[in-house]
Amino acid sequence: MTSPAGRFLGALSRRARERGLLVGALALGSLGLAAVHVALYPAEPWRPVVLGAVALAGFLVVHAALSASGSGADEVLLPVAAGLSAVGLVMIYRLRPDYLLRQAAWIALGLVVLLVVLGTLRDLRWVRRYAYLCAALGLVLLLATVLIGVERNGARQWLLLGGVAVEPGEIVKLLLVAFFAGVLTDARGLLMLPGPRRWRAELGRLGPTLLCCLGALLLLVFQRDLGLAMLYYGIFIAMLYVATGRADYVVFGLVAFLAGAALCYHLFGHVRVRVDAWANPWAFASSGGYQILQGLYGLATGGVVGTGLGAGHPDLMPAAYTDMIFPAIGEELGATGTFCVVALYLVLIGRMFRIAARARDVFESLIASGIATALGLQAFIILGGSTRLIPLTGIPAPFLTYGGSAAVSNFVALGLLLGVSGRLLAGGEVSGAAANR
Amino acid sequence: MPRRIADLGRVLVGLFAVLLVYLAGVQVIWGPHLADTAQNPRLAIAAQQVQWGRILDRHLTVLADSTTQGGRQVRRYAGGSSLAHLLGYRSARYGLAGLEARYDPELLGLPARDPWQALQAAVGRSMRGDDLVLTIDGTVQQAAVQALEGFRGAAVALDPRTGAVLALASAPAFDPAAIDAAWATLSRDPGSPLLDRATSGEYAPGSSFKPVVLAAALQGGRVTQQTEVDCAASITVQGAVIRNFEHEQYGMMTVPDAFAASCNVAFVHIGMATGADAIVGTARAFGLGRAPRFDLPAASGHLPDPRGLGPRGLAQISFGQGSLLVTPLQMALVAGAIANHGALMWPFVLSQVRAADGRILESYAERGTQVVLPPAVDAEIVQDMVEVVARGTGTAAQIPGVVVAGKTGTAENPQGQTHAWFIAFAPAERPTVAVAVLLEHGGVGGQAAAPAARRVLTAALAAQAAGGGRP
Repeated sequence: MTSPAGRFLGALSRRARERGLLVGALALGSLGLAAVHVALYPAEPWRPVVLGAVALAGFLVVHAALSASGSGADEVLLPVAAGLSAVGLVMIYRLRPDYLLRQAAWIALGLVVLLVVLGTLRDLRWVRRYAYLCAALGLVLLLATVLIGVERNGARQWLLLGGVAVEPGEIVKLLLVAFFAGVLTDARGLLMLPGPRRWRAELGRLGPTLLCCLGALLLLVFQRDLGLAMLYYGIFIAMLYVATGRADYVVFGLVAFLAGAALCYHLFGHVRVRVDAWANPWAFASSGGYQILQGLYGLATGGVVGTGLGAGHPDLMPAAYTDMIFPAIGEELGATGTFCVVALYLVLIGRMFRIAARARDVFESLIASGIATALGLQAFIILGGSTRLIPLTGIPAPFLTYGGSAAVSNFVALGLLLGVSGRLLAGGEVSGAAANR
Repeated sequence: MPRRIADLGRVLVGLFAVLLVYLAGVQVIWGPHLADTAQNPRLAIAAQQVQWGRILDRHLTVLADSTTQGGRQVRRYAGGSSLAHLLGYRSARYGLAGLEARYDPELLGLPARDPWQALQAAVGRSMRGDDLVLTIDGTVQQAAVQALEGFRGAAVALDPRTGAVLALASAPAFDPAAIDAAWATLSRDPGSPLLDRATSGEYAPGSSFKPVVLAAALQGGRVTQQTEVDCAASITVQGAVIRNFEHEQYGMMTVPDAFAASCNVAFVHIGMATGADAIVGTARAFGLGRAPRFDLPAASGHLPDPRGLGPRGLAQISFGQGSLLVTPLQMALVAGAIANHGALMWPFVLSQVRAADGRILESYAERGTQVVLPPAVDAEIVQDMVEVVARGTGTAAQIPGVVVAGKTGTAENPQGQTHAWFIAFAPAERPTVAVAVLLEHGGVGGQAAAPAARRVLTAALAAQAAGGGRP
C-alpha cells in the first residue's frame, strides 16, 4: 500500500479510528462531569459542566482539522491526551468546582496552541540551528524566575507576565529538549568515534551542554523545584544515550545523580525534609509526612474499585487538585482508576517512542525521544511521588493536573509529535500498513 | 538509533511496571490494613455517621453514651473522671483510648472481621452501634476512687472465682469528655494523670510479694508451717545488711508468725532455703513478669533471671525488693489466685456485647484459667493471710462479721517515701472478692493501704449481697 491511493486510504482509516476513540474518551469525560455534578452539586447550575464538556469537545475540532488536511498522523495520541484531560477535568471539578471553568479554558487554549503548532511547524529541522538560543532562553527564564519569581502554592515559583502567572519550568522543558537534540545531532558522530577525536568532541560539545545542564539544575535547586531538576537531568541522560548509545555516559550520569542527590540531602534542609517524610511519614505525621500519609490513606481506602466519585474524602489531602490528583483518583476510582491512568500514560509514551524510532531525521527523532521521555518521566515522578514510591516533589502530571502553563506546554509537545508522525506517512517512508506490522 | 530508543522505552515501561506493582500492593493487598489504622481521618468521619453504642456496668447502669452537639456526636461519661482510664476517650484530635479504642468496632456496630468495608457498606444508612456490658460494678468503682482520694495510686477489685473485674481505678484521673481542651495540661502534668497506674504502673511489691515466696517455700517442702525461723533485727548477706521494718526483732518464730509480723530477716532465711528458681518460677505462675491477658494493654512488670541473681539478689527478692516490678492488676491476680484455691482466673472486663434492641450478641463468663498452687498449699497461705488481718500488720483491714485475708507491703523505692501496698480477699472461707491497692509514697502498707482496701472490700461485699452474688 505505498501507492498514493493506498496512503490516502490508510490515513482515512487512521482518522476513523481516532474518531471512535475520541468519542469514547469524551463521552466518558462528560459522563464523569455529570456524575460529579449530580452527586455533589445538584443545586448548582449545569452551565459550567456543559462548558467543560464543550472544552473537551475541542479535541474533535483538532481531529476534524487533521482529517481535513488528510494527515496520516498517529491516531492514538490525541484520544489518549483527551482521556487524560477528561479524567483530570472530572477530578478537578470534584475537588475544586471553582476551578472547573479555568481548567476547561486551559484545555481550550492548549488545543488552540496545538492547532497552531500543527499548522505552522510543518518541519522541525530549522529549530536545530537555534539550539543554543533555546538553551539561552531557557536559562534566562529560569534565572528570571529565581530573581523576580513569586511564590504560589508553596515551593513552586511563578513568573508574572502581564498579570498572568506562568510556570516557566514547563516551557523550559521543551526548550531544553530542543537544545539537547540540536547539540547531540551535531556531536553524535564524533561522540561515537574512538580515540582522541572523541575526547575533543566530548570537551567541545558536551562541556557547554553539561554546564548548561548544571546551571539549570542549580537554578532549580535554588527554587526548591527538585522534581523539575530530576526531570531535566533524566531527559539529558536519556537523550545522550539515544544519540550515542554510550552506556558509560548513562552509568556515569546515574552515579553523578546519586552523588548529587546525597549532596543535596546534606546541604539543603528542604531536601532533607522531603526525603525524611518519604522514608518514614509516620514519624512526621503532623508535619512533613502529613500530605504523603493522607495520600496513602486515600489510596488504601480506594481499594480495588474506589469509593465512587464524590463518596470519598480526597479533600483531606493537601493540594489534591494539583500534586495529589493521582491519589485522589485512587481513592474515588480505586486501583481500577489508577491502573487506567497508568495505562493511558504507557500508551501515550509507547506511541511517542514508536514515532521517535521511525522518524528518519536524527534531529526529529531525538526531539521525539526527548518529548516522550519528558512526559513519561514527568508522569512517573509525580505519580510515584504522590504515592510514596519515591520522595514527593511537586510537578504537574501531564494533561491531568490543573494548570495553564503545563497545558500549553503539553499540547505543544503533543502537536510536535503529531507533526513528526504525520510526516512519516507524507514522506512515503512508513505507510499505514507498515505501521501495523 | 531505533534500538536505543526502544531501550529507553523499555526503561520507562519498567518504571511504570514498578509503579503498577506498588499500587496493587498499596491499594489492594495492603490497602484494607492501611485504611483501617486509627490515624486515617476517614474512619473518624465515617464513625460520625454511626450512633455509637453505650457502655454499661454490670447492673446495666449507663457509664458512657453519646449525644449530638452542634451537629456532631459527642461522648458523655456519667461517672466523669472515675472510669477515665478504663473507658478511655473519643477525640477527633487525639484518637481513641481505653475500651473506646479496644471495642471501637463493636461500638460502631461492625462485624469484627473487616470493619472498614462493613463501614463503607453502611455509609448513608442510619446505624446504631452495639452496647458493651462490663463486669464493672459502679458502686465498687466509686468506693475504689474514693479510697484513692488524696493519693497517687491504683485500686483493683475482681471476683476471684471468674476473673471478672469489679473496679479498676487509677489516681490522679482526668475528665475523658474534656480531653481535647485539657490535653496540653494533662500531658505535661508531673502527676501523669493519663497513665493508667492500675494496669501499667510498675512498682516494687515489697512485702506484698511474701505470699509468693511463702507459696514457693511451702511447695518445695523444705519449709513448713511449723518451721521456726530467726527474726533477728538484721542479717548480712554478702556484705549487704538487711534490716526489719523499724528494727523490730522477735527472735525465733514460726513461719505463720513471721508472715503475720512481715519479718524481712525471717523471709530472707525462708527465701535462701527455697532458692531463686522456685521463687521466680512461682512468681511467673502467678502471672508476674509478663503482661496479663486482658481487654486493655497492660504492663508486664519485671522478674529477675534466677540464674544471675546470686545470694544477695535472692535475699532481696525474698521480701519483695531488688529488681522486682509488679502492677496493681498483677497483684490483684495474686490475691485472686490464692483466694480461688490456687487457680488464677485471667482478668476480663467485657461481659456482654448487646445489640441496640437488647439482643445479646456475645457473652463471656470467664477468659481462661491457670493452676498456680496445689489447693492444700493454698489453704495454708489463706490461713496465714487471715492471721495477718486478725492480729498482724493488716488489722486495719478488718470488717466486722467478715473474715478478711490480706498482706501488707511497704515498698522502698528510689523516688522517696515508701509505696503502701495491700492485697486482700474476703470472705476468707469462700472468697467472692479480691483486691489490690497501691498508694504511691503512701507510707506504711498496713496504715495507709489496708484501710483503703477495706473500703473497696466492704463496697464489693455489699454490692454482691444486694445483687444476690451474681458474678
